[in-house]
Amino acid sequence: ISNHKILKACALCFLHPDVAVISPQDPVLRIGSGLTASCRLSPELGLHASSLYWTLNGVRLPGSAYGVVSSDILSVELRSLNGSQQKSGDNLMCHGADGRILAGSCLHVGMPPEKPVNLTCWSHNAKDLSCRWSVGGQGETHIPTKYTLKYKLRWHGRENECENYSSEKKGHACRISSKIALFTPYEIWVEATNQLGSAASDISSLDVLDVVTTDPPANVRLSRVGSLDDQLMVRWASPPELKDFLFRAKYQIRYRTEDGADWKAVDNIGNLTSCRLAGLRPGTVYFVQVRCNPVGIFGSRKPGIWSDWSHPAAASTPSGERGSCDPKAGEQNSTLRRELKQFFGWVRKHASGCSSMSIKLYDQWRVWLQKTHKTRNQVGKQHTLFFFCLLSEMPFANTPLLYQYTPS
Amino acid sequence: MDPSHNLASERSSIESTYELTKYLEYQLKEIKDVYLTYLGPPFNEKDFSPPRPNSTALTLPSAATRLELWHGLENQARLAQNQRAYSILLAAVRELARSTLCPSLKTSLLHFCTGLDGLLGSISALMNSLGYSSPAQAAAGELQFPQRGTGSNRPAPLMSQSLKVEGFWILRELQSWLWRSAKDFNRLKKRLRASSLTRHRYY
Repeated sequence: ISNHKILKACALCFLHPDVAVISPQDPVLRIGSGLTASCRLSPELGLHASSLYWTLNGVRLPGSAYGVVSSDILSVELRSLNGSQQKSGDNLMCHGADGRILAGSCLHVGMPPEKPVNLTCWSHNAKDLSCRWSVGGQGETHIPTKYTLKYKLRWHGRENECENYSSEKKGHACRISSKIALFTPYEIWVEATNQLGSAASDISSLDVLDVVTTDPPANVRLSRVGSLDDQLMVRWASPPELKDFLFRAKYQIRYRTEDGADWKAVDNIGNLTSCRLAGLRPGTVYFVQVRCNPVGIFGSRKPGIWSDWSHPAAASTPSGERGSCDPKAGEQNSTLRRELKQFFGWVRKHASGCSSMSIKLYDQWRVWLQKTHKTRNQVGKQHTLFFFCLLSEMPFANTPLLYQYTPS
Repeated sequence: MDPSHNLASERSSIESTYELTKYLEYQLKEIKDVYLTYLGPPFNEKDFSPPRPNSTALTLPSAATRLELWHGLENQARLAQNQRAYSILLAAVRELARSTLCPSLKTSLLHFCTGLDGLLGSISALMNSLGYSSPAQAAAGELQFPQRGTGSNRPAPLMSQSLKVEGFWILRELQSWLWRSAKDFNRLKKRLRASSLTRHRYY
């Protein structure tokens, strides 16, 4: 049996892996570069190099690019390579005339990384140091690139690496959580590395106390100012951590109506922990948020970084009372309406035919009364009520009947 | 111990193991497509078949076996072969997941591994309830997958052609085993029923 037949018949069997070898094996190349690869046959195969062909990612390469180096070596010339088609690398394969694969090589074509940019750092409560940065240039290197945030204390020499790396849509970030030193300058930079090269960002020099950011202010509360219908009072506490150091902190408020889209800001609050908002709309629900900037903390002279906004607090301004000259009328009215509702419920249950009795009907009657000028302003003074009950079962349909009711 | 009670619980145990293999077979079909697309053409082309590599992962007994051998397997040997195969394949798929650069594919593969782990557990439990001792999980320990370390500044490891071919074959072997295991468990069910009838005759 010729070797050829054995190879064809064996789908699952063992084959000697070195039927042929491609060189270079799994190279990493720059976009635009060229490559001459060769497929060297094992003598046991009994094949001639001229009978072979090449494919790249499943597509047959033209014979014009081939070179028969010897009876058992076929070469191929690839020019001006594009970035790898898939992340796992391009598949370059050497085939026998019948199509079977004799050998393969994985090409990784990409670019060395560009210098990372926009390196910004901040410290949460002076307990850690986080930085974020963006990828330089186009960002697409086609081959996996590793980013490392490095730092050292300028006056202590030893280089360290940040370990808590995370990568999101917004970009790359890393958090240094141990041994944060205050009052001494840090030098921080990012190194990007891949198999084709590396690049480092500019070095950022900073003092942790200049980049401190706190939690949002605590216990934000919004409340009415007595019965004033255009004002609300905001109160808050300085963020609990670092509160002993925040005597020079600044605060900022923003507020909007429940269904409004735009926030209004209040800036000149200084380091107070309360503020009265005025010029508001009566009878409206407002949302308010506060944030803190620990400017001047630990003697820092930098502008400081604002915290996140606190959770919103909400309250409504009192609604304006219009057209009521009698402040007591409102009070009486509500007791009256309550009793009325109770009575109507009773009527619906016990007086047959009065199932359409309701507070709506009563309101309609009152409107009618006002129009006829009959008992205007007397309703609140009397506890005796007159109302209509439409009895559909009565022989005289739609004849209104008057019932007089005096609550006990 | 009531023999009929034992038999009922064994049967339901075999049945659920059988169902697990069918479920994993279905899951694998989907993952395989995504993985082969990740490897790129021609790996995801129909009828593609590279030479089977010589690596450790694939020295396990292939699912493919001669009919009369398979038919005549004793229950213990049948289960032991399944157990050994999945121990090795689980470690192999974990390594595949580790070397995959595409995050969503990596997650899918790791998720599939928990299913395989469940299957292994199911097989071990079955062997215990039938009174067969399971060989120590030496199979998985024997394997030495080359650990490509990520040093402090060395970039992520790149795929090589041999890794791609190995990945291809691991998934293909896994597919064969899941297909075969379903038949193994059916056969086991039948043999246990037959032997319980024999047992009952003497009570």
